[in-house]
Amino acid sequence: MTEETQHIIHWVDEIVQQKGNTKKALIPILQAIQNEFNYLPEEALKHVCETTEITPENITGVASFYSQFRMQPAGQHLVKVCVGTACHVKGAMQVYDAFKRHFKLTGSEETDAEGKYTLEKVACLGCCTLAPVVQVDDVTYGHVTTDKVGSVIQDFESQVGKVGNKSKFRHADGSEFQGEIRIGLGSCCVASGSEDVKKEIERTIEGTGINLQLKNVGCVGMCHQVPLVEVIDENKQSKLYAKVKPNEIADIVNTHFKSKSLLGRVRNKAYNLLEKLQTDEVWEGVDRYAIDVRDEMVSSFLDRQLPIATEHRGVINPLDMDEYRSYGGFEALQKVLQMNRQEIIQTVKDSGLRGRGGAGFLTGLKWELVAKEQGEKKYLICNGDEGDPGAFMDRMLLESYPYRVIEGMLIAAYAVQATDGYFYIRAEYPLAVTRIRQALINCREQNLVGENILGAGFNFDIQIYEGAGAFVCGEETALMASIEGNRGFPTIRPPFPAQKGLWGQPTLINNTETFAQVSYIIRKGKEHFNAIGTENSKGTKVFSLTGKVNRGGLIEVPMGITIRQIVEEIGGGVQNGKKFKAVQVGGPSGGCIPASLYDTPIDYQSLIEVGAMMGSGGLVVLDEDDCMVDIAHYFLSFTQEESCGKCTFCRVGTKRMLDILTKITSGKGNKKDLEELKYLADWTKKGSLCNLGKSAPNPIITTLHYFYEEYEAHIEGRCPAGKCTEMISYSINDECIGCTKCAQKCPVEAIKFEPHKKHSVDMNLCIKCDACRQVCPVDAVDVK
Amino acid sequence: MVKLKINNQVLDVPEGTTLLDAARSLQIDIPTMCHLEGTGHFTSCMVCLVKDARNGRLMASCSMPAMEGMEIITDDAECQESRKASLELLLSEHVGDCEAPCQLVCPAHMNIPLMNRLIAAGNDAKAIEVVKRDIALPAILGRICPAPCEAGCRRKQLDQPVSICLLKGFAADQELNKGVVPVLQETKTDRKVAIIGAGPAGLAAAFYLNKAGHQVVLFEKNEKAGGDLLQIKEEVLPTKVMEAELASILNSRIQINYNSTIGTAEFEQLQQAYDAIVLAVGAQADLWKDKGLLLSKNGVQVDKTTYQTSIDKVFAIGNALRPSKLAVRSVGQGKELAWVLNEWFETMELKGYPSRFNSKFGKLSEPEFAEYLKESVDEKRWQASRGKATGFTREEAVAEARRCLHCDCRNPESCKLRELSDRYGAEQRRFQYDERFVIRKEFAPQNIVYEPGKCIKCGICVRLTQQYQETFGFSFIGRGFDVRIGVPFSESVEKALEKTAALVAEKCPTGALAKTDTEEQL
Repeated sequence: MTEETQHIIHWVDEIVQQKGNTKKALIPILQAIQNEFNYLPEEALKHVCETTEITPENITGVASFYSQFRMQPAGQHLVKVCVGTACHVKGAMQVYDAFKRHFKLTGSEETDAEGKYTLEKVACLGCCTLAPVVQVDDVTYGHVTTDKVGSVIQDFESQVGKVGNKSKFRHADGSEFQGEIRIGLGSCCVASGSEDVKKEIERTIEGTGINLQLKNVGCVGMCHQVPLVEVIDENKQSKLYAKVKPNEIADIVNTHFKSKSLLGRVRNKAYNLLEKLQTDEVWEGVDRYAIDVRDEMVSSFLDRQLPIATEHRGVINPLDMDEYRSYGGFEALQKVLQMNRQEIIQTVKDSGLRGRGGAGFLTGLKWELVAKEQGEKKYLICNGDEGDPGAFMDRMLLESYPYRVIEGMLIAAYAVQATDGYFYIRAEYPLAVTRIRQALINCREQNLVGENILGAGFNFDIQIYEGAGAFVCGEETALMASIEGNRGFPTIRPPFPAQKGLWGQPTLINNTETFAQVSYIIRKGKEHFNAIGTENSKGTKVFSLTGKVNRGGLIEVPMGITIRQIVEEIGGGVQNGKKFKAVQVGGPSGGCIPASLYDTPIDYQSLIEVGAMMGSGGLVVLDEDDCMVDIAHYFLSFTQEESCGKCTFCRVGTKRMLDILTKITSGKGNKKDLEELKYLADWTKKGSLCNLGKSAPNPIITTLHYFYEEYEAHIEGRCPAGKCTEMISYSINDECIGCTKCAQKCPVEAIKFEPHKKHSVDMNLCIKCDACRQVCPVDAVDVK
Repeated sequence: MVKLKINNQVLDVPEGTTLLDAARSLQIDIPTMCHLEGTGHFTSCMVCLVKDARNGRLMASCSMPAMEGMEIITDDAECQESRKASLELLLSEHVGDCEAPCQLVCPAHMNIPLMNRLIAAGNDAKAIEVVKRDIALPAILGRICPAPCEAGCRRKQLDQPVSICLLKGFAADQELNKGVVPVLQETKTDRKVAIIGAGPAGLAAAFYLNKAGHQVVLFEKNEKAGGDLLQIKEEVLPTKVMEAELASILNSRIQINYNSTIGTAEFEQLQQAYDAIVLAVGAQADLWKDKGLLLSKNGVQVDKTTYQTSIDKVFAIGNALRPSKLAVRSVGQGKELAWVLNEWFETMELKGYPSRFNSKFGKLSEPEFAEYLKESVDEKRWQASRGKATGFTREEAVAEARRCLHCDCRNPESCKLRELSDRYGAEQRRFQYDERFVIRKEFAPQNIVYEPGKCIKCGICVRLTQQYQETFGFSFIGRGFDVRIGVPFSESVEKALEKTAALVAEKCPTGALAKTDTEEQL
């Protein structure tokens, strides 16, 4: 036995010792092995089979099912390019291609020749407002464009080796300094007066020892918020201030850097401040461009909203239990412990709360079904497997309101008499896992979880189960299969989980957001909740508003609000004065609602009527530059990749629909293809086993319905939005000032370096990476 | 008990009964592929969808439990369309040939790979039996046929095609040498067929009709049978061989009248006296115009599948339809017409010769040569050392037969995908937009072959190897469209199937896992 094998075996033994030797420990074991070796060595898997009840069939099936697991060693660093919806519409694929070129990868190669970097696409990092997003190990870069790829890697490398000590920025002479202030110096920033701001900062910090570094930070797509000022304190926490006016500088600087003696206090304060932020980019990974897009200056972003699941947003420190209690936390639990179980269920039923995971089943009814079942044991699962590549509300709720979600689970568990609870959380959400883990420890200390909760003779324990990367596991039968240590294959319903769920026992599964709304209903009363919303959709819904909108972010709105109100009033309208074209609701299961239906109210029924669905709550705003066929293609490539591969209609149907869309977007489609696309969409919807397959055609069906002329244009050889790379060409118009920026950026020398002359693009060489258009200061690059 | 309706029949079934079982209790057939009694339902192939009329929803009957008040429909147009759609999706990724290209190309549709295997195994009797199912004059054709089958042979891509024509001649010669057992069947029917012309087409039709027990009378204008065959040179087709083969056909209940020319009056008489008249008159259709037959621009006008002419009860085959040098086409048509007439006599319904569903994938790519060679020998094409007219020696024949790549599927009859594709009229190419999978073949003891390209991912093998606690067994690997069935840790199929090889091969609904030694078409 080689030393290496011995090492592996030693580790596996230790992991099995920790995680157990039963089938249900399989995924946690694999996660631990990968954590240790950065992939799954075959020797390790074989050894697992030798020492546990897990079979080779089981381990192979599971390890190859979940996208988290790698069978080959990866490079030293992992570059993850987010290809979620919001990132996609902002050019994620071009960024991915740029990284591929940067690392000189060809074909299906993922790791560079030196074995230093491995490049991966990732479904969604859940920080859609920073799109396009790239994660290099634990460092996240937002608003990455094709021409920034080099600087991302450069910046990352400047951090490598400073692991654990990254915060120690130093002067050239080696002395430490307190922090750093960066000012956006992009053209928009300059145009908006950042020079004045800079002077004001220089004046304020004179003699304080604070380093002022001028860096082009802000102008990465956040141009609507200029001028931008980024403050990085000694603890490497950064905060970005938008629309800063010179007279606000003193306050900002004083908040972060009062005086040497007060440093410790400031640090704590900054930490707390960050913890309370309502934005999607605040988690431990982001320490490069953590931007506060909450945009405190713009109150209309909040005005239209109604926080229930996100109640006390921006105020509560996620893990501070006293604070949670001081805002009424756990009052609802106290209350239900005095209530009759049927009464609780009736209250939830009467409130009209419907499942927030997408399908909208009446929550109280689901509880009632579980309550009336008899079983040796009853399970309860909080579904936090948020896989929609354009949504991040579950992550937000788990990270920011762990106690609220736990309280909801406790109430449900008490009502249906469940004893064992699970948090099923996506592996891509490490901070959510950390927070929930800590929150559970705190709850256990306070006797809120465990035996005889609050002395009421109520036993309920909760454990965390980390998903391993499979969108289909949002489907409840697949989710349970995964907890049981199987491939995430959905099974036919009935039996429903309420009857035969986890390990054959009655099981209640609700979405994270559903649980987050429960305590409010109990505390404020069912009538209060019931009064919000529309006839058939009560209460509020949390959405992640992203895409081509001025103010993206997480929003919670009353049911019945119109799409127009969301986009125009909360989101501040479409970016860059472009025309609103459509909004994609509900992610891969949803549909595209066109401008003509801008006034569609957001509720379960209305969305279904227009061909979309609530889904998990992603709202991606699309403008005139977005190609609807490309959007359909995008979603299909997602569902096709995420199909579990069990039933024919989904496994092959989604692939064939994608084939047709690929044909159409590359200009090779014909009329017959459109008919076949419709046929396959209809049959995949009708014939698939689970809701992933049944809803996968929705993006196609709605775009065919509302944007048929765009499909026709593609068949005639035109992509009206200029998105489909195989159908477009680049040219340079007379606006060109001969600045040579495009020629310098072009990675393939398709533009000759000709200073002061009108440039031109050689389409034989052009790879359509869009770098020239992005860099051109005078909009001289045409895409047709 | 649960009360429901299936196709408007009311029934009560115990709770938990699947819709499939409930329907079967009423003798209502619902097709399945991924379902296997005793292994738990899996719900993957989706050919068993049925509809609940109350809400129009389709569901997989193999796994959906019957519920109170359901109104199930199992076979309306929508259910049938769902089956066709799922089959067409499965076929779009199915890489395999039901029948080998050589057989599909052969105008007589002879089962060539099966003949090759029988010759290679030294089973002469079965080899000629297989040949004669489709070719009534194998010794003759074995010498004169231009062998379109060899142009279709996949082996041609590697080196040279298998010498199929000579192998067929070899099989026929063995029987002729031994003495052909005459077909002297008792008359089964009182049907009488007059065949005008005793050339290859007429003789073939006579051969098969006689075999089926009908009374056959041949009218030949010459003093000898053979038609155009008589024109062939001795060095190509020795008279001895030709005469022996013709004699073996006529040494039966077939009557033959030589030197009989059929004029208009005789033709009318024949129409009165016989149940059917077959014109196998060779390339002289013009002579029949006066007798009331409509002609096409090439010859007698017939329905392409039934060979019926413009006159009731009168059929035409062979060069009468179109002048051709391909005797094998005439011989094939003789066989087909015999089938049509036999069916007609039995059922009173005139049906065309059936064409079965065939999965096809086209040419091999270079890396696939090696996969196909696993079941063959890497040797050059053999020549008949004694000359073509004499044919292969036994050694040569066996060695040449071994060169066959066995492109045909080993489960051509039991394959449910083929059967259902036939039944629902599924088209294989409809959704083939992408490149096909690369073919792999893995052989294991007990004559097992595994061809992943033919797998429909139903998981029956996974469930069976699990159930019988194989150490490795089969496992699903990957997910989505790319999911495949493989053996854990890249072990061999042999390791996967230590206990269950025969069982798993038997239960595979397609030819993905098959036994190479079970000849379903023998």
